[in-house]
Amino acid sequence: MYGGGNTFEGVKLDSVAQEDPIQLAAFEARIERGEKIEPADWMPQLYRKQLIRMIEQHAHSEIIGALPEGTWITRAPGFKRKLALMAKVQDEVGHAQLLYSAAETLGKSREQMIDDLINGKSKYSNIFNYPAFTWADSCFISWLVDAGAIVNQLANAKGSYGPYCRALERICAEESFHLKYGHHCVVYLATGTVTQRRMFQEALNRWWAPMMHFFGPADKISVHTEILMKWKVKMGTNDDMRNQFLDMYVPKIWELGFTIPDSNLKKNNETGRWEYTEPDWEEFKRVINGDGPCNKERLAVRRTAEERGRWVRQALKSPEAEYVMPLA
Amino acid sequence: MDQFGTFEVFVQPKEGKPFQHEGIVHAPNLEMAYVLAKETFTRRFTCFSLCVAETRNVFVSPVSEGQVSAYDLLTTVQATGKPLTSFEIFHLPKRGKQHVHAGTVQAEDAQHAMCVAKQTVGAGKMTYNVWAIATTAIRFTRPEDGDFWSTLPEKKFRDAADYKGGDKLKKFLEKNTVTS
Repeated sequence: MYGGGNTFEGVKLDSVAQEDPIQLAAFEARIERGEKIEPADWMPQLYRKQLIRMIEQHAHSEIIGALPEGTWITRAPGFKRKLALMAKVQDEVGHAQLLYSAAETLGKSREQMIDDLINGKSKYSNIFNYPAFTWADSCFISWLVDAGAIVNQLANAKGSYGPYCRALERICAEESFHLKYGHHCVVYLATGTVTQRRMFQEALNRWWAPMMHFFGPADKISVHTEILMKWKVKMGTNDDMRNQFLDMYVPKIWELGFTIPDSNLKKNNETGRWEYTEPDWEEFKRVINGDGPCNKERLAVRRTAEERGRWVRQALKSPEAEYVMPLA
Repeated sequence: MDQFGTFEVFVQPKEGKPFQHEGIVHAPNLEMAYVLAKETFTRRFTCFSLCVAETRNVFVSPVSEGQVSAYDLLTTVQATGKPLTSFEIFHLPKRGKQHVHAGTVQAEDAQHAMCVAKQTVGAGKMTYNVWAIATTAIRFTRPEDGDFWSTLPEKKFRDAADYKGGDKLKKFLEKNTVTS
């Protein structure tokens, strides 16, 4: 799981103008033909930089995203739910491993990426800066946050960078269990007691705003990323991804008899687009810049894990094996 | 640097099928790389076996742009009379895909192995890139690793098919339709 929005900063096209025009034309022609770019290929610095940023954020989101659900493993209702949630959390961390490897092929070491995460330099999906108060919050994450992630990941799997696409294909195959498990949990709450239904409704009310933020700022206010779309780094606009998610999942939420806390939410059948109350982008910016309910706690957990594991890494480290950049 | 070594991982999906490159793991040694590879790449999908090799032990050919085979971009070297050892050869059959095991050759060193492979396992084949790895540098699955692999079938809870909520949902929807 992860969030696909706001992964790009303003693009400085000056750096593209300084690239070798012949190499650049061949690079763009390769993408135009639908071929993948591989680590040993020539690529513009801007392409490399933005891909590292995007894949690294995705990897961080996987390990940070495992935290709110991870806290529910011991409290999940019943042995079967505990097993499933444990397997799901293990998957998320495994996804981070695959993604860090893909980013490493672009020249940034895993150690640098982890350092940048715990020092607050790199971002991760904003939605994981919110707390999972109840079991129903955990179910919301498993079903709907993962659903949003799948929308993004399926699009990005058609991108241009070979190692990232191959990692995403594997991840998407594993996500099908997460989505089915999450839906299963929510169906059980929806068809359960009045208290269970109320629990999920309250979770939905808490998580709807972060869910709308999940896909990133509205196109009208987000940075221009035309060149990144041309290079198939970014595969759809934030609003397109959000609309696709609403199209697929609002009917399923309504089907279960839950209400969505936005009286303006409706599909415009003429445009085929969903209309909704404009999300509070100031809150989005505030949280992504560190002032959310759980930012400090999330990073503190990672920092502690890094510190506590240091002696193990040092004890195991040997000159037998050497760190080098992965091949593919 | 607080960072373990890099190892390339190859998976054999079924008996008789070739090994295919799947990705990398970081580990302090070959044996631990094998264990981590099992967790990372076969945790959710069964496979017949896997093998790992340290990345710095992979000899890589030039990459072809498609006009000629990668073998045609190699500098030819001749045998010098040194003893021959075994090398595993992997081909990249298509851009964007993974390297696939093409065969084993006997050669003096990795570069010589590629030249031998050009005449044998690579003869007449279009390949975009070739990897050669000394067989002795690879940790393969051993018969005694069997128990290590047999845990997946009992973990149905890792499978999407284990989550059937359809009947419950159908009853709920029918009841709600009648009520409304």
